[in-house]
Amino acid sequence: MASLDDPGEVREGFLCPLCLKDLQSFYQLQSHYEEEHSGEDRDVKGQIKSLVQKAKKAKNRLLKREGDDRAESGTQGYESFSYGGVDPYMWEPQELGAVRSHLSDFKKHRAARIDHYVVEVNKLIIRLEKLTAFDRTNTESAKIRAIEKSVVPWVNDQDVPFCPDCGNKFNIRNRRHHCRLCGSIMCKKCMELISLPLANKLTSASKDSLSTHTSPSQSPNSIHGSRRGSISSMSSVSSVLDEKDDDRIRCCTHCKDTLLKREQQIDEKEHTPDIVKLYEKLRLCMEKVDQKAPEYIRMAASLNAGETTYSLEHASDLRVEVQKVYELIDALSKKILTLGLNQDPPPHPNTLRLQRMIRYSATLFVQEKLLGLMSLPTKEQFEELKKKRKQEMERKRILERQAALEAQRRLEERRSDLASRAANGEVVSLRGGPAPLRKAEGWLPLSGSQGQGEDSDPLLQQIHNITSFIRQAKAAGRTDEVRTLQENLRQLQDEYDQQQTEKAIELSRKQAEEEDLQREQLQMLREREWEREREQFQAASLHTRTRSLDFREIRSFHLEPGREPRTHFAHVLDLGSSPAQSSAAPKSPSPSSALEPISVWSGPQALGQEFFPQSTMSQQNEVPSLNLFDEEDLSSPTAEGTTSPLAAEPSFGPSAHILKEYNPFEEEEAVGNPFTNPDSPAPNPFEEEDEHPYQRPSSPPVPGNPFEEATCTNPFEMDSDSGPESEEPIEEELLLQQIDNIKAYIFDAKQCGRLDEVEVLTENLRELKRTLAKQKGGTD
Amino acid sequence: MNVVFAVKQYISKMIEDSGPGMKVLLMDKETTGIVSMVYTQSEILQKEVYLFERIDSQNREIMKHLKAICFLRPTKENVDYLIQELRRPKYSIYFISEMISFESTTTHMSVSDLSNVISKSDVKSLAEADEQEVVAEVQEFYGDYIAVNPHLFSLNILGCCQGRNWDPAQLSRTTQGLTALLLSLKKCPMIRYQLSSEAAKRLGECVKQVITKEYELFEFRRTEVPPLLLILDRCDDAITPLLNQWTYQAMVHELLGINNNRIDLSRVPGISKDLREVVLSAENDEFYANNMYLNFAEIGSNIKNLMEDFQRKKPKEQQKLESIADMKAFVENYPQFKKMSGTVSKHVTVVGELSRLVSERNLLEVSEVEQELACQNDHSSALQNVKRLLQNPRVTEFDAARLVMLYALHYERHSSNSLPGLMMDLRNKGVSEKYRKLVSAVVEYGGKRVRGSDLFSPKDAVAITKQFLKGLKGVENVYTQHQPFLHETLDHLIKGKLKENLYPYLGPSTLRDR
Repeated sequence: MASLDDPGEVREGFLCPLCLKDLQSFYQLQSHYEEEHSGEDRDVKGQIKSLVQKAKKAKNRLLKREGDDRAESGTQGYESFSYGGVDPYMWEPQELGAVRSHLSDFKKHRAARIDHYVVEVNKLIIRLEKLTAFDRTNTESAKIRAIEKSVVPWVNDQDVPFCPDCGNKFNIRNRRHHCRLCGSIMCKKCMELISLPLANKLTSASKDSLSTHTSPSQSPNSIHGSRRGSISSMSSVSSVLDEKDDDRIRCCTHCKDTLLKREQQIDEKEHTPDIVKLYEKLRLCMEKVDQKAPEYIRMAASLNAGETTYSLEHASDLRVEVQKVYELIDALSKKILTLGLNQDPPPHPNTLRLQRMIRYSATLFVQEKLLGLMSLPTKEQFEELKKKRKQEMERKRILERQAALEAQRRLEERRSDLASRAANGEVVSLRGGPAPLRKAEGWLPLSGSQGQGEDSDPLLQQIHNITSFIRQAKAAGRTDEVRTLQENLRQLQDEYDQQQTEKAIELSRKQAEEEDLQREQLQMLREREWEREREQFQAASLHTRTRSLDFREIRSFHLEPGREPRTHFAHVLDLGSSPAQSSAAPKSPSPSSALEPISVWSGPQALGQEFFPQSTMSQQNEVPSLNLFDEEDLSSPTAEGTTSPLAAEPSFGPSAHILKEYNPFEEEEAVGNPFTNPDSPAPNPFEEEDEHPYQRPSSPPVPGNPFEEATCTNPFEMDSDSGPESEEPIEEELLLQQIDNIKAYIFDAKQCGRLDEVEVLTENLRELKRTLAKQKGGTD
Repeated sequence: MNVVFAVKQYISKMIEDSGPGMKVLLMDKETTGIVSMVYTQSEILQKEVYLFERIDSQNREIMKHLKAICFLRPTKENVDYLIQELRRPKYSIYFISEMISFESTTTHMSVSDLSNVISKSDVKSLAEADEQEVVAEVQEFYGDYIAVNPHLFSLNILGCCQGRNWDPAQLSRTTQGLTALLLSLKKCPMIRYQLSSEAAKRLGECVKQVITKEYELFEFRRTEVPPLLLILDRCDDAITPLLNQWTYQAMVHELLGINNNRIDLSRVPGISKDLREVVLSAENDEFYANNMYLNFAEIGSNIKNLMEDFQRKKPKEQQKLESIADMKAFVENYPQFKKMSGTVSKHVTVVGELSRLVSERNLLEVSEVEQELACQNDHSSALQNVKRLLQNPRVTEFDAARLVMLYALHYERHSSNSLPGLMMDLRNKGVSEKYRKLVSAVVEYGGKRVRGSDLFSPKDAVAITKQFLKGLKGVENVYTQHQPFLHETLDHLIKGKLKENLYPYLGPSTLRDR
């Protein structure tokens, strides 16, 4: 701090190696570095890291971080596999091996063949069309024969003594038959027939495809036709004798084959099997999941970390959407699985295998993806998380502050002229609640600065606050706000010089004047503040002044509202929030007392939560004992104090409110978690889902609780309804709520595998329960 | 140079080329093995391949809604099957991926069949069979080998030689395998071979012939240090395969047998039904990947850790699921848990069986004597130990024969060679003729006459000093004293000290500068 107003002196402490800014503590230095210079050169970073590592704590911290990094890279799966010390991925990058395509060659050969084939088929179909173009049933057989012979020249009987297909000799009994499509000869055994409907199908299809001319109307021929009885030629007597060719056309196997293939092709073109339709839908769903799930996971991770980048509603909508898609995938794959199972005859085993495999892969897909789909915090949880995050940041700040405190002490020793007024002057200027800024900018100051700032200059404190705002804003990615804040910070730093001199003047005057004068001074100061509205710290300094004055002062302060009701109200608001944070502060404004909350907060991470019940409890115990603020005065601002987010949770009014409006945590958990269906705790989600689709758990949390059993398990609902006015029940309820919260933390910690935290939390929980029991005993 | 990755890339390319939609993979016997070595079922399912069929299976249904990816070696049979298939297509569209093969016309090959050649005529006959235009792609991929580990492949050929000469069919198969390897890794190497082996030279010539013939395919980016293909013959070092090994993969291979990553455990006493055959694949078994090259003792402790790790997770199952959180945690861990339990039971069974065999066959003692035979030159003590073990009823006839083989190889020309006595002992022990014949066979195969150099006595001063120092220090592990001759060969090669008179380059020296 001295470095700013005294640039000539030798700088020491936590100077940023790049911009030589004094940052009081290494935490600050580190965060400063991360924020300001993260983009800069690596080796410099390495330097500062090694520098920072000298501090033991920092060392631990860094080691921990490195461990985390390693763990992260370890989860990358296949890549990190090592083959017993041989890591093939360390080898040179490998591209796809050589490939040679024969497609062009293949196509060349095929094209020749296909042309030939197509010509063949078309020839056959054209002939077939001719053969069916007339009314066969009502035409004389001799005429038919003539027409048939005109379509294709028949092979001479004498040329073919044996059946070309089976090799049997033709004789009277084994007569020759002519293929009407190609004119070749075969025996009766090798003869095939083409029915008229098939012929129609083939011809009309080719006509459709060619769309050259409309097909002659082929009315279904009546089977009752005149019998053709005339025997015209010896060679083909049999054909007329034992066959009626009204509705069929004779042909050889080869022609029939060709035509059947053609028919198959036609069929395939038109027909899409059910399984394909379902499968296409299934793939669409999977694609959708692949798109949406990462987005959701990003959101949920952010929300679960207590960040406010995404809105909870949006995330839960997305979750419902994704879960619906999963459900659809499940339903579709199940449908595919059971396709044709009831058919007679049953499908080919390969079809069944295919269906099973599709189902299996869909199951794998859902299993893999859905389980990665983390649950969202409920609204209430989310509030908790937000607070927790804030607390964590606070805790960090407190640690920083602690270091800053020490640094400052050292500085103070040097500043002997200011030391004299340390007893009251410093304390006077303590309470740096940056309330106006908070409202104006929307960034939350870290409450640690309030509880902790006993020894620090309000301006410095403000500077810290702003740096923290910058951090928050950066985390939220609002760069424009960061810019304004940074400007603000610069202004504050300039202001700091002024303030120092100002304070000195103020101090000397104070020493000379009586208490009444002090009050006037206060008034004066306040007016000056209003003039300089943009520099918001004044309100804070004023505010802290009132606090630090002894209780008589406060009483007189209470007299003031008549004169300046508005500003005063703002101060009261701040007052309301700050004792809520640092329970010890109102009792003993001496700097040493500030250590109490520190000791609470500097514990392990989990203790951040522990602090809550304790502070709220102690607040309740202590506030009445102070009996300076009458209770109404205190509780009403806190109740309204939603502007101060820190006060929101531990305050009685809002919490009771929250309890009533939202499902308490336990049942939210039931809602959020698709697998913990109390009715069927089947270990395998995929067996369960047959009866319980995901929809049920995914239904959005409604204020009016739809789960009856959940309401029953939650006894405090009644409590909260019964008496929010009387103090004892409120307290009890608060405790209960706190217990609830702690349970949530335990759950969270368990999930994340922070076992030590779980332990601490369970202990905390037990303690809370004990307190609750005691309290209950007390009220009874 | 990762062969597993190379084959994997080929297969995924093949599948991706066919686009979206349900697919069936049509394979032959060999390619089934190739695919199964590098892909698991669930991995391949993710690529929309739902059915796996053999091209020769007759009971295949017509499923026109599937795309077929044919992954076949271009043998005559396969081409015939494929022609039949295309005449009456069962699937909507075909992507044909022939594995590599080249016509090789060495003197040997001229008499051999040409079945392994996807010749122009094969392409033509396939094309002519495709009357319905169902073929979308015909490609040659060069993944014609079984990738065992990233740096190890096999062709699964048993008995490639007749006497000292190649079995022509196997020579051509080996040539195909090697050229496929080179192409899949995109290497166009210089070739060196072991002068003492005619077979190595023959193979080298075949490979080089293919490279010359298919020079277009082998046009790869040239590297500063050209790749080198060194062809060695096992007869160079007949000792190593006769020794019992003590690392995980080697032990499993030696004692249980690995066939395409599969291990047959059906002979294990009291084996449960689902563990009769297990798959050990480093690709998807992390424990195996991390332990396959560790020695037996280390695996023991690692498997204990694995068990403990498992036990720690296990209680979740038995634990009453009291809270919602418990249940949730359980369900989330369930698939992982199941997988882990599979891994644990598999490795515990395998390692358990290994240690049972080790004690049943008295392998520790056998191995100690084996190592002594391989690494030390004390004839009388070695003889004594071999004799002692031959009396031991727990030593199997196979191990007994191996001991005598080692003795025969090492003391082949020792003045007081008492091989006949040992052979007598073998007969007395009741070792079958089949095994006893091996002793003379192995001497003929890998004896001094063949090798031209001595495996046992060091040749140069450095090696002598090394051995001397080793003798002073004592041995850290009696079971792993022996270092394969390959180690020395490769070491020399890397240091550029491999003698050209023993391992000459193939072809004129100008080729070396290519």
